[in-house]
Amino acid sequence: MRKTLMLSAVSGVITSLFLFGQVMAADLKIGIMVPTTGSEATSGKDMENAIKLAAMEINESGGVLGMKIDTMTGDDACDPQQGTAAATKLVSADVAAVVGGYCSGATLPTLKIYGDANVPFVIAAANSTKLIDANMGNAYQINSTGFDQTATAVALFEKQGAEKIAVIHQGDGYSEDLAKLTRDKWTEMGKEVVAYEVVNKGEQDHSALVTRIKSKAPDAVFWTAYYADGALLIKQLRQAGYRNLIAVGDGSNSPKLLEIAGKAAEGVYCFSNPTVDYLPAAKDFHANYKKTFDQEPDAYAALAYDGMKLMADAIERAGSTDQDAIIKALGETTSFTGIAGPVSFTDKNTLARSNFVTLIAKDGKWTLSE
Amino acid sequence: MTLQDILLQQLANGLILGSFYALVALGYTMVYGIIKLLNFAHGDLYMIGAFLGFLVLSVLSPLIGDSWVGIMCSMVLSMIAVGLLGVLIQRIAYQPMLSAPRLSILITALAVSMILSNGVLAFTDGEYLAFSTDLGYEGLEFGNVFITYTQMVLVGAAALLMSALYLFVHRTMYGKAMRAIAIDKDACRLMGIHVNRIIALTFFIGTSLAASAGIMAGAYYGSIHFFMGFVIGLKAFTAAVIGGIGSIPGAMLGGLLLGLLESFGTQIPFIGTEWKDVFSFGILILLLVFKPTGILGRTEIERM
Repeated sequence: MRKTLMLSAVSGVITSLFLFGQVMAADLKIGIMVPTTGSEATSGKDMENAIKLAAMEINESGGVLGMKIDTMTGDDACDPQQGTAAATKLVSADVAAVVGGYCSGATLPTLKIYGDANVPFVIAAANSTKLIDANMGNAYQINSTGFDQTATAVALFEKQGAEKIAVIHQGDGYSEDLAKLTRDKWTEMGKEVVAYEVVNKGEQDHSALVTRIKSKAPDAVFWTAYYADGALLIKQLRQAGYRNLIAVGDGSNSPKLLEIAGKAAEGVYCFSNPTVDYLPAAKDFHANYKKTFDQEPDAYAALAYDGMKLMADAIERAGSTDQDAIIKALGETTSFTGIAGPVSFTDKNTLARSNFVTLIAKDGKWTLSE
Repeated sequence: MTLQDILLQQLANGLILGSFYALVALGYTMVYGIIKLLNFAHGDLYMIGAFLGFLVLSVLSPLIGDSWVGIMCSMVLSMIAVGLLGVLIQRIAYQPMLSAPRLSILITALAVSMILSNGVLAFTDGEYLAFSTDLGYEGLEFGNVFITYTQMVLVGAAALLMSALYLFVHRTMYGKAMRAIAIDKDACRLMGIHVNRIIALTFFIGTSLAASAGIMAGAYYGSIHFFMGFVIGLKAFTAAVIGGIGSIPGAMLGGLLLGLLESFGTQIPFIGTEWKDVFSFGILILLLVFKPTGILGRTEIERM
């Protein structure tokens, strides 16, 4: 009698373990693709945190379609080759959907991989216009694209009375794209681009370039690449006595730029997608993020968080984890409002409403410019 | 700015950049000269130097400030520490490989380079650290050519270090021993020279020079990063080859020349900044075709 009891107890435990195991297997696996190593690791990890925070909140309030979200990170290291490897890893791990994408250069080659596997992909931060053409219909960009940023940039230069501008990029997908669009738009308006230059990634000394730019006396210098090298360029431009307007693209929207460039960064303009500091709706998110990770959210945290919430919303609306249904539901998004604002898509799967703002560096901080 | 002003300014830029290259190239060339090893970890020791300098400066700055005094003090401390690290690496990684085939020690050097840069990556999470100092933008204006005091001090310090090294190698017994070992190691051993000790000394000096360049670059440019040694490692290697690898004056000359080539390469019409590396490496290839031993290299040097 006792033996039977023991046996049934043991088998009960084993069965429940088995069942539990099955419940775990039915979790909703969502891939995160961001750079967690390399030069852009700071921003990438910040996005990863924000996505995980969104998943945690969704799980606490009952999950998606009764399933708990289980995230898995693929590190693209802001490098096209590593990005391809990360996407392949996520696809072969059978993720239901992917959220992420910070560097456009690294995100671009992954679109084909996700497209072939028909994986729904919400691109949270990467915003090169090249992504639009490479999109196979399964990816949705929730950050405004380079077209919107160019319009904001050109408007600022015009307002500040600039006639001659210099545009500098770094030869990668994102920064070259933004530079090209700006140059074309500026010349279209009948004004002059006096210098259109490239800086090698990781180069510390820009003195030769600075001398070349200074000799052309532009009214504004527009740096379209990332913050680490941008900070060095700003510092050296100011050091060499360049006093006119300097503006940087959204890839340079980081407090690190101000920290590295120090007082040289005062008065520098920056175009930014909506960051936590300027969004009234982000108060709760800000507090939760700080409580969970014990650090301040960076530039793309809000969009990354929205990306995860949007994906969950779409899966909920699709009513299943069928990939076609999720992709269709994403495209039909009309009533989703994230902390960065309402989301709906154009027929090219880009955001219907631009979300760029202009910031200015004041006393070592980015503040909203008037 | 007139063309003359631009060229003069680029000359100044090139000399400043070139003195960094020269300092790093010296270590490359000294190590190659004495044990025929291309020490690929050299650029990473430059990076370690910058990070140690940063660390020491952040400890010292409450006491002595982060202006020139603080930078110089942390530079000396970090040069000693990195020099010792160089000796340690030589003892652990290179010494046992000295009698192995040349390729094995070359691979070991690559491995050391990876260990150093990835070690710092792990410690810093791949973040850029702001090397904040008190150095200002004040300087002297010669016509339209502008040179900051910081730049002058940097070039002066580099020149001082290089001339001290030159005197050390050519005027002291240790320097004589180094030069002798470069010619014939076995004969030196028979003459009673402590070959291993002199090799260690060479590593110490070479790596501490790289460390000094690392700190100066960190303080001057204002940010440090685990990958910062890679590009400069390549450039310094190029400079050493241009000057003739194994030759100390050659490394100085090669560094300055490369810096000037890069600055003026930027200024060539229709070429622009994106081609400046193509320009300077193109010159390197031409030089190697017509004078494979470099400008001041000796012909009997065997190359890998």
